[in-house]
Amino acid sequence: MLLAEGLTSVLTHAGHAVEHAATGKHADLLLAAEEFDLVVLDVGLPDIDGFEVLRRLRLRQSATNVLILTARDAVEDRVHGLDLGADDYLTKPFSVTEFEARVRALLRRVAGPGARLSIAGMTVDMAAKRVRIHDRPVDLTPREWALLELFLTRPGRVLSKDQIAKSLFSFDEQLSPNAIEVHVSRLRMKIEPAGFHIRTVRGFGYVWEAAGG
Amino acid sequence: MANLSPVRKSVRRRLLILLTCSLLMLVAGATTVTYWIAVRAANAAYDRALLDPAVDLSDNIRMESGTARLELSRDAQDALMYDQSDKVVFQIRDSQGRIVAGDPSLPEVGGLTPGTRMYFDGKHQGQSQRFVAMRTPSGYLVQVGETLNKRQHLVRDVLVAELVPTLLIALAAIAVAWIAVTHGLAPLERVSAKLLHRSPQNLEPLDEADAPDEMAPAVQALNRLLERARAANAVQQRFLVNSAHQLRTPLAGLQMHMELFLRRPLAPELRMEVERMHKATIRTARLANQLLALANVESASEQRPELVPVDLKDIADAAAREWVPRALSANIDLGFALDAASVMGDSLLLQQMLNNLVDNALRYTPSSGTVTVRTGMRGNIPFISVEDTGPGIPAWARAKVVERFFRVDGTLGEGSGLGLAIVKEVVDLHHGTLTIEAAHRESGTRIVVAFQAMSPPMGNAARA
Repeated sequence: MLLAEGLTSVLTHAGHAVEHAATGKHADLLLAAEEFDLVVLDVGLPDIDGFEVLRRLRLRQSATNVLILTARDAVEDRVHGLDLGADDYLTKPFSVTEFEARVRALLRRVAGPGARLSIAGMTVDMAAKRVRIHDRPVDLTPREWALLELFLTRPGRVLSKDQIAKSLFSFDEQLSPNAIEVHVSRLRMKIEPAGFHIRTVRGFGYVWEAAGG
Repeated sequence: MANLSPVRKSVRRRLLILLTCSLLMLVAGATTVTYWIAVRAANAAYDRALLDPAVDLSDNIRMESGTARLELSRDAQDALMYDQSDKVVFQIRDSQGRIVAGDPSLPEVGGLTPGTRMYFDGKHQGQSQRFVAMRTPSGYLVQVGETLNKRQHLVRDVLVAELVPTLLIALAAIAVAWIAVTHGLAPLERVSAKLLHRSPQNLEPLDEADAPDEMAPAVQALNRLLERARAANAVQQRFLVNSAHQLRTPLAGLQMHMELFLRRPLAPELRMEVERMHKATIRTARLANQLLALANVESASEQRPELVPVDLKDIADAAAREWVPRALSANIDLGFALDAASVMGDSLLLQQMLNNLVDNALRYTPSSGTVTVRTGMRGNIPFISVEDTGPGIPAWARAKVVERFFRVDGTLGEGSGLGLAIVKEVVDLHHGTLTIEAAHRESGTRIVVAFQAMSPPMGNAARA
């Protein structure tokens, strides 16, 4: 209850309309009746089978974004949830800031193509694939754009070089780690004026770090 | 286990002592009986021969003018008394007890009516002798005695003939008993060896088919005990899991509300107070988490998960996603050096292990420090290591930090004291080794977990 109230308060504060369901049954009914942009689903409660709610939601072909809340030690739950079609997960306990960032990222997906995103000093036109920083257009190559998209839909998330290579693979031949470095450092320079950083994770890949998520 | 009584009762020793004692008593009894029979046999054989000279002597007594006289030359007497191995003596008395002939030192024998005779053992000149005494119809008392040499020879021969095989049989019986006892106790030893070598966490029942019939009650009782221990364990674990579970969600809520509260404009003293509460909540939530994790790992290790090939690199990969944001916010450079390292393992438990290692490293590394996760092979040994630039763990504490709730005094950070205990559980479950060393000359910690080399395409690696 305490957690649900807190989450409700955070989301309401951010200007969202929130419905709270205390049981799996109630959640299932709500989800069947209305279309939501985002579901925050606690699968950690033993008496409420959140997985069943998720399964039924996906069975109805609903594209609603689902953020599951699991315990850090319950790796199985996390894997199971993602397999069932959850879009992201948070491990309990988490900070409000982290929660807000994840919610923003998921809702950004809802905005979908054709939407305009305004984060900090940057405006992104998803459809036209155009970026403006402080109202000045920034030229991005297709690969830089793809990278930006990758980071925007996974804020706070870490991208390994492997993952980037796989995502950018469709353009032509496989990218070498060195090529990825080049693309990342170019994108980094272009967006830094807007207050974003792409940090290098030693021996692994990159992490997107932004003041506003 | 220090209070084991110093003298333990050995079934084998007791059986053997009992057996040897009764066999020795049996042999002693047999010897006595044989001796008695041998003496009787010797007497029966030689008494007859002793009578002959007595009869010969009595035949040669003549009455001459009222006096009895032995009418036998000295030579004839010697011939009559001659014996190969024994000294023979004789004496003849008349009906009044007067000595007629022979050795006068022999005492008179009373109670014999004319025409009867008797055999008896006596002493003459300090030597044991066998005597025959007969009273002739005419009233003469004739005694003949001989030493016991040939009788003793016979007894000895009989005893030897009888006793040697008996002793051999007894010795053979003891040897057979030794082997039989050892053999018979082998199942007992197998059962105890099994008990001895199983891990303390293993509460699986013993295989009753393994134990001999005589031990079945003991094994069954033990199995009932194990079953009870298992049930008690399960109850305890369920309780721990449930309570940690029930604690966690309200704690997450509490933490969230405090964060929301901290976003409001607050008077500085109030803010400090709430911040303190916020920190305490985080610490408590973490403790609940760790307790639950430990309970989970323990129950996993009891259920002996099936170990499958897992690449430690993938485990570290997953951990990176989890921990990089936190490292970033703590201003710690979390880096990786990942090479393939296949082990037989349980990937969920291994993630749990690495989570705790990285969590610990981040927790004890000050801002602008470095934490590095490595995976790879050292020779054919797969390993995963986490090293940091924190204050390090003093050498004396390294063995202790894997104990539950142990914390090095004065360390910063807010560890639960359970992280490394969880790690150790998982490492043990994988039959790996955990090494804690200094990462740098004076500071930093490097924790290396080395796993068993994968036996090439053997499939299921044998597990004890």
